[in-house]
Amino acid sequence: MNVGTAHSEVNPNTRVMNSRGMWLSYILSIGLLHLILLSIPFASVPVVWTLTNLIHNLCMYLLLHTVKGTPFQTPDQGKARLLTHWEQMDYGVQFTASRKFLTVTPIVLYLLTSFYTKYDRVHFVVNTVSLLTVLIPKLPQLHGVRIFGINKY
Amino acid sequence: MTESPATKQANGEVCQPPKNGLKPESNGFTGSLHRISKRPTNRRCQADEEEIACQHDGLYNRPFKEYFEETPMLVAVLTYIGYAILTIFGYLRDFLRHWKIEQCHIAREKEEQKDFVPLYQDFENFYTRNLYMRIRDNWNRPICSVPGAKMDLMDRTSHDYNWTFEYTGRTVKDVINLGSYNYLGFAENTGPCADSAAQVVRTYGIGVASTRQEIGNLDKHEEMEKQVAKFLGVESAMAFGMGFATNSMNIPALVGKGCLILSDELNHTSLVLGARLSGATIRVFKHNNMQCLEKLLSEAIVYGQPRTHRPWKKILIVVEGIYSMEGSIVRLPEVVALKKRYKAYLYLDEAHSIGALGHRGRGVVDYFDLDPCDVDVLMGTFTKSFGAAGGYIAGKRELIKYLRSHSHSAVYAASMSPPVVEQIITSMKCIMGDDGTLIGCKRLQQLAENTTYFRSRLREMGFIIYGNDDSPVIPMMLYMPAKIGAFGREMLKKNIGVVVVGFPATSIIESRARFCISAAHSKEILDKALSAISEVGDLLQLKYSRRRTQHAPLAQLFDENMFEDIDD
Repeated sequence: MNVGTAHSEVNPNTRVMNSRGMWLSYILSIGLLHLILLSIPFASVPVVWTLTNLIHNLCMYLLLHTVKGTPFQTPDQGKARLLTHWEQMDYGVQFTASRKFLTVTPIVLYLLTSFYTKYDRVHFVVNTVSLLTVLIPKLPQLHGVRIFGINKY
Repeated sequence: MTESPATKQANGEVCQPPKNGLKPESNGFTGSLHRISKRPTNRRCQADEEEIACQHDGLYNRPFKEYFEETPMLVAVLTYIGYAILTIFGYLRDFLRHWKIEQCHIAREKEEQKDFVPLYQDFENFYTRNLYMRIRDNWNRPICSVPGAKMDLMDRTSHDYNWTFEYTGRTVKDVINLGSYNYLGFAENTGPCADSAAQVVRTYGIGVASTRQEIGNLDKHEEMEKQVAKFLGVESAMAFGMGFATNSMNIPALVGKGCLILSDELNHTSLVLGARLSGATIRVFKHNNMQCLEKLLSEAIVYGQPRTHRPWKKILIVVEGIYSMEGSIVRLPEVVALKKRYKAYLYLDEAHSIGALGHRGRGVVDYFDLDPCDVDVLMGTFTKSFGAAGGYIAGKRELIKYLRSHSHSAVYAASMSPPVVEQIITSMKCIMGDDGTLIGCKRLQQLAENTTYFRSRLREMGFIIYGNDDSPVIPMMLYMPAKIGAFGREMLKKNIGVVVVGFPATSIIESRARFCISAAHSKEILDKALSAISEVGDLLQLKYSRRRTQHAPLAQLFDENMFEDIDD
C-alpha cells in the first residue's frame, strides 16, 4: 500500500521529469559538463564538443534506458520493475511534454556539435552513431522492446 | 510545462478548463457555479501565488485563504543537485559494499542460494539503504511519557551510522511536542477523562473479546454512538476500533462494481485502499480543484460506464476535511453544491478536522456553517482531537442500520475497548459543554488562537507555509534532502520534537516539516518553539518566502501616528 505517503500516486517515478525545475537543472548540468570539459588544457573545441555529446548521450542512455525499476518499493506489485525510466514516464503515455523535451535536447546538442566540429568526417560518424543510440530507444514502437534479450531482467 | 502545486491547480492535464466561453478562474473555482450563485469577486487573484481572499455571499461565509507558494527555481535546481549527489554516493557505497571494502549491514542471500532467482530486487532497496538509513534517527523515536504539550524521549545513539541504535539509559525530558495530533489537548493522564476511564476499567475490564455482532455490543458502545450522533447533528452513528479500518472496511460495503468513486489526489491511504477493495471504478481529481471535479462529474453522467455506456449505479465523491500533508481544507460548500447539482453522494473523512475546526468544534461542516444532512456519509476518527482511538461513520438512520449488518468491521473486528469508549464519551461531553464546565470551549478557543498566532508568526519570519490559514496542521517547506535530517536533529538539540517528511512520501522536491498545533500549547511554549525554529531557519537558510507580509504584525495594533492630527 502507499503506506506513509501523502498522495495516491502509485509510482512517483512517473512524475519526476515533470516536476518544477527539472528541465532547467538538466540544461544547466549539460552546461556544467561542457564547462568542465572546456577546462581541459590540451583539448581543442571540436574535441570538447564531441566529448560533451558522447558523454551526454552515454549518461542519458544509462539513466533512461538501462536502469530498470524504482529505487523504492511501489504498491503496484512490481509492474514497473522491468521497465526503464523512459518507459515508466507518465505511465507509458507517448508524446507528453517531457518526452518531447528529452527527445529534442539530444538533437539540438547534436546540431551544435556538428557546427562546432566544422562537419569533420570522423566527428560526424561518431556523433551520429551516438545520437542514434539515444534516439532509437525513444521511439514509441520500441516501448518495452528488448533487442536480443539484452537488459530483459 | 513543468508542474508545481500552483500551476497544477490552474490547469491539470487530466481536466481541461470548460470550453463554454467562460474564462476559467484560477485556483479551481468553477465557471458553472458562478452561474448558480452569481457572486462578485472582490479581488483579482495573483497568478504566481494562488492566493484567494474572495468573499462569496452565495457559498462561503468567510474568506477562504489558502496559500501554496511556488518553489523558488534556484531551490528546485539545488534540490535536484542534492539528490544527484546522494545518488552518486549511493552507487559508490553500493560498489564498496559489493567488493567488501565497506561493511555491509543489510540482509543478503545465503552463499548456497546465490544461483537461485533472487527474492528481492536490490535496486528497490536503494533509497532505503542509501538515503533513509542515513537520517533514520529522525523517525520512530521512543517516547516514555504522555505525548501532551511536552514529552520525554529516550536518548539513543548509533555507532554504525543509524544501522543499529543503543539506548544510553538517559531520557531527554520536557521536549516540546510539535508532532502529536493532539489538537484539543486530550492526551493527558490526569483529569476527568482519565479518572472516568480508570473507573470504567474497574467495571467493564479492558477487553471485550468479541465482535459487535456477537457478544461485543456493550451499553457503553450504544451510549457513545448516541453521543457521537448528537455531537455531529445527524440521526445515527456507528463506531469502529480503528480509524484506518473504518475507511478500508466500510467503503467496500457502500460501493461496489458498477459504481464510480471520485477521489481527491491527496486522499489518505485508508481511503485509497477502501476504494480499491470495493471494486468500483476510481477517478482521481486534482487536489481541491472544483473545476476538475465538475468536469469529471459531468463526463461521468454524460458518458456513463466505460464500454457499455450504461449509467453508473452510484457516484461517490470522497474528500477529506483537512489534508494532513498539505494543511489545506476542502472546499466543502462547492463540493456540496456540485453534489446536489449532479446527484452524487459525498463521503467526508474528517480525521483531522473533527474537534479542530469550527467555532463549536464540530468539524469542517461547522466551519462552513453547512447542514450536516447535506453530507451523506460523515466519517471521522477519535484518535486526533479526542485522545482516544478508533473511527466512526455517521449519517442517516437507514445507512447506519445497513452498515451495522454489512460492514466488515462489525462482523469480523473486535469491538472497542471500554476505557477508550469512556474517554470518547467524556471528551465529547467536555467539548460540547455538557459536563457543566467551560473547559471544552476554552480549548477550542485556545486552539484557534494558537493556530492563527503560529501561522502568522511563521509567515512573518519568511518561511514557506502551505495550507489554509485556519488549519492546525502546518507544513513548512524544507525542499532539500539534507535539510530534512538537519532540521530534525537541530530541533531535537533545542529540545523540540518535530515530524519531517521527504520523498517518496511527498513529491520529489517538496519535503517538509509538519507542525501540529495543540490547545495544550501555551503561548510561552509556542514562543520558545518559534524562536528555536527561527534560529534553525537562519542556520539552515530555510526562509525561502518571497512574499511581502500583507498584514501588520500582531503586536502593533495601532499606528502611533494614527491620532497625530487630532488636537486634544
